[in-house]
Formats: sequence, structure tokens, C-alpha cells
Amino acid sequence: MRVLVIEDDVTTADYIAKGLGELGHVVELARTGKDGLFLALNETFDAIITDRMLPGPDGVAILRALRASGIRTPVLIVTAMGEVEARVDGLDAGADDYLAKPFAFSELRARLDAMTRRVSETTEGEASVLRVGDLEFNLLRRTVRRGTTKIDLLPTELRLLEFMMRHPGQVLTRTMLLERVWDFNFDPTTNVVDVHMSRLRRKLDAAGPPLIRTMRGAGYMLAADDA
Amino acid sequence: MRKSFALRVAALAAALVVVVCGLGFGWGFLRVESALRDQLDLAIASDAQDYLADFESLGANALIASVADAARRRGALVLLQTAEGTTIAGNIRGAPLGLNGFDDLHLPDGRDLRALGAILPRGLNLIVAADLAPVRRSAAALVGALPLAGVVAAFAALVLGFFAARRLELRLRRVSDAATAVIAGDLSRRLPETGGGDEFDRLSATTNAVLARVEALVEGLQATTTSIAHDLRSPLFRLRQALEAALARPRDPEADAATFEASLSELDSVLSTFAALLRIARAEAGVGNAGFVTVDLSELVTRVCETYEAVAEDAGKTLSAEVAPGLTLRADPDLLRQALANLIENALTHGGDRIRVVLQANGGATLIVTDNGPGIPPEEYAQVLQRFHRLDTSRNTPGTGLGLALVAAVARLHGARLELGDAGPGLRVTLALPSH
Repeated sequence: MRVLVIEDDVTTADYIAKGLGELGHVVELARTGKDGLFLALNETFDAIITDRMLPGPDGVAILRALRASGIRTPVLIVTAMGEVEARVDGLDAGADDYLAKPFAFSELRARLDAMTRRVSETTEGEASVLRVGDLEFNLLRRTVRRGTTKIDLLPTELRLLEFMMRHPGQVLTRTMLLERVWDFNFDPTTNVVDVHMSRLRRKLDAAGPPLIRTMRGAGYMLAADDA
Repeated sequence: MRKSFALRVAALAAALVVVVCGLGFGWGFLRVESALRDQLDLAIASDAQDYLADFESLGANALIASVADAARRRGALVLLQTAEGTTIAGNIRGAPLGLNGFDDLHLPDGRDLRALGAILPRGLNLIVAADLAPVRRSAAALVGALPLAGVVAAFAALVLGFFAARRLELRLRRVSDAATAVIAGDLSRRLPETGGGDEFDRLSATTNAVLARVEALVEGLQATTTSIAHDLRSPLFRLRQALEAALARPRDPEADAATFEASLSELDSVLSTFAALLRIARAEAGVGNAGFVTVDLSELVTRVCETYEAVAEDAGKTLSAEVAPGLTLRADPDLLRQALANLIENALTHGGDRIRVVLQANGGATLIVTDNGPGIPPEEYAQVLQRFHRLDTSRNTPGTGLGLALVAAVARLHGARLELGDAGPGLRVTLALPSH
């Protein structure tokens, strides 16, 4: 993937660039909002990671300019900690995701992954049934079956599974799950995600081989064996 | 130069009185003069009638005789002249020709006259007149007392204006003095309130409310700073020690990895404390008001409870929820969700094995979280709502010590009443949200 990173802080920029480089991505770095906007408008990228606060046009302004010129490249906005309003602003302006500093690289990687794949998936249109391997989620009836077995899930488990089935084969971090499934924009002190994940996993695995994998130090992934 | 508000107000009032008096005097003079002239005109007309009666009944010679007689004996101003201006009888020199009707005359000798002229047959012109000077003197005499009254009024306005404005200035100065004291750092200083309920009192009351809010915010900020210094220093210090020790010992990949992992988790806990503090600060600053939306509170509470029912069960505890359906209100859903999560996690961590969450409708919405744990002694209720307060002073139980402080901040942001109580046994936390 070709990724544009717009970040004025040298340490953060190098951290992101080095990490993405090791994953085999090609990284373009821009240190100011002006340079970043120029690159974003004139070259093609698979994803853009931009800081919220920048010299020149800031992250949200860049985002608005891109969307105004019809550029749909997925954008991840990185902000300083605690800027909750910034998250709302960014998502309103058309950002695909949001990440608060400081973050673990695994978090950035998972979000970049989910973001770029989501775009390719949504182009296929909204399906009424989600499928991963022999697992089937009927979105209209809110029912789940695996092969021929009907699986009874609680509302929270249904929401969790739906989100995971919309991102098959992708690492989903606990923070991502908390934000998207629970609307929790904070870190609970109890192991909320793990508790529900293990219940969901027990119910799914009763009807076949394991579908949910734990990615150590990163999060969870839903994938059929053949995937 | 220091400008005196009182002096300016007094001068303005006096100037206003002078102008009003001046206009009044002018108008008065004109009215009196015009009334006197009317009387004069009546007298002249009556005289003229007498002459004309003489002329009509006795003829021209009789008129000439009575004009001459009147001019000579009574000192009356009267003239009978030919159409060409030759005086036949009478004593007005320099009268115009052919005067017919009333007019003001200015004679060559400087006198101003009021005159009535009549054209008689054969070109005779009769003019009956009276001197205007007495009229003017009378009018001037009648209004002459008024300027003195005006001067007195202007002086009174000056004095009264000065004292009224001075009183105002003193009140303003007390306000300004109090404000200066606040600027100088005395945040507990308040503006004087007389209790009179006038505009000044209302302004003072409002300003005092602002000052109270500012004082509370600053105190909160100081408390936060102190707690950060206190609570974040120790984990950061532990982190430093661990890294220093690891650096000093010979390289050992396994031990180093263990140190790194422990350090990362220590750092994560520092960061989550920071995040919690920032959330509290945001809620307390009240900026969230802008982010209020209509929230389906029943659904929000149900979802959070569903989430924690499983967590409780895994911990060998039970969580039961009793949620009134269809309750909506304007709120910050993010913060409400976190406040409820904090209350439930607090109960899970410190409060026994049975947790009960109730959402009731009663005008607004009341959220009650009860546990059957040891509870909190009533004298510590106020303290546990402070940042970083923990009953377990050894800080062995998990948590940032910020959970209830955030709940308190969220309650304040929503104008809600937060009460701690004894559930006998256990702790009961009640959050009463207003309906507005």
C-alpha cells in the first residue's frame, strides 16, 4: 500500500513511517499541512494518516478539501489525547477513523487495515446476510446459524459478531471493539471485551472448528480456516 | 486625569435645566407680549370706533376737531391725513400713506407704535395708534423673575446630580475594588449585595455566581494538579527505577523483555489515568453542553447493563437491571455511558456480589446503582467524590481512584443530583437527572 503520513512531529512521523515500512508499505511523509494537502491532491494513495494539529491547514481542513474535490481515499486522523471534540469534528468532516496519541503501533496497524478494507467492501453494496466460512448472520432477522445449527446469541453478542463479520480476517483491537460495538470511548477497568468474546467464542465453537483467534498483544480476528 | 462620572452627570443636568428654562422663558415672554398686544389692539379699535362714529354722525369737521382735541389734550396718538400725506390734524410724524387695518409702525424718532388705519371717503386717512414700549416693559417685567428661578434650578440640578451620581460612582467603585481584588488573586472576594434587588444587586449577584464558578473551577484545577503530582509521580518513579535497574544489569533478552512489558503496562496505566483526568476536566468545564443530544436513556442503560451482566457473572456475581422503557432526555451520551460504567465497575470491584441497577421515570430520570458490599461510612461520602480518593489507602485494589469523581463531574454537567446512601448493607448511588 502507498500511505501518505502528514505529521509535523518528527518522532511520531518516524515511528509511523518505520512501522509501516516494516510492514511493506510505501510511505510518503509531509511535515506541514500545505505539503500534505498538495501531495494528497496530486498523487494517488491507498490511505492517508494525518495529525489533527498541523502548521498550515490542519487535519480537518485537509480532509474537507480532499472530500470537496471528490477524493475518497480513506483518512485516519491522529489527535492529541483527550480531544473528544476533535474526534467528532474529524468524523463529521469525513474521516474514516480516529486515533488518539499516544497509541500502540498495533492499534494503528489494525485501524489502517480495517479502514482500507472497509472501503473495498462497501463498494459491493449492503448485503442482508453476512457470511464467514460456514457462519451466517441474517441481518434482517438478527439470527445466526453455523452450518445447519442455529446459534442463540444475546443482543451484545449479536452486535459484537456483526462487527467482526463485517471485518473478517482483520485484527480488531480491544479499543476498536469498545468504540464500535459498545460506544465506549474510554477504557473500562474490567475485562469487558474478553468476557463477551469468550462467551461468543464458546457459542460459535460448539458447532464447529474455532473461528475467533486471539492475536497476542493486538486483539482478535474472525476468520474461517480456509480464509 | 481621572474623570469624575459624578461631575459630568451634574454638569449635564445643570446644562439641561438651563436649556429647558431658556426655552421656557422665551416662550413665556412671547405669550405675555402677544396677550398684551391683543388688549392694546382692542383699545385702539375702540378709540377708532369713537372717531368714526363722530365722522359718520357729525361729518368731517367734527372728526378733525375731535382728533385735534384728542392729540392735544389727552396725549393720544392719532392722525388724520390726506391721501397725499398732508397732516390735517393729529400728532404722528412720519406715518405711512394709506394705512388700512392693523400694523406695527417704526417712526423716524425711534418709537415703535401699534397702529390701526382706516380710509375714509374723499381720501382721508385716519390712523389711531399706541406706543408699544409699555407692552414690552410689562412683558419683560412679568417674566423677569423667571431667569432667577432658572439659575436656582440649575444650581439645584448641579448639586443633586452630583450627589446622585456620586452615590452611583461609589457603588461602582466598590464593585471595581472587588473585581480588582479578584484579579489580584483573592478568588474568594465577592461583590457587595445590598439585598435591595435593584439592577446593581442583580448585576452583583450574577457576577458573584460567575466568581463562585471560577473559584470552584480553579480549586478543581489545583486539586487536579496536586493529584497528578501525587498519583502519577509514584508509577513514573517505579518505571524509572525499573528501567534504570534493567540498564545497569548485563543484557539478558528474557529479563529485558519482561522489564519492557512491565514498563509498558505501567505506562498504560499512567496514560489511562491521564485520559480519565482529561474526561473529568472536560465534563467540569461544561463544554459538553454543546454536545448534548437527545438520548434514549432506557436503551443506553439496558445496553451497559447487558454488557456488565456477563462481566459480573464471570466474576461469580450477579447484576440485575430494572429499566423503565422509553425514557429520553438531552444529555451527553458518551459521558453518561462512562458514568454508569464507572458506577457498575465500582460496585463490582468494591461492593459485594449482588449489584442492582434501576432506572425510574419521575419527572426526570433517576438512576440507582446498589450493591450489597461493605458500603461507605457516611462521613466519607463527600471525600469519595473527590479525585484520587480511595478508601483503601494502600492502593492495592485496582482502579484509578477517579471513577466516582468522574460521575460527580458528569452529574454537575447535567444538572443532576448525585447522592450516596446506605443500602443496608452496601452502597446506594442515586443519580437524579432533571427532565429539561
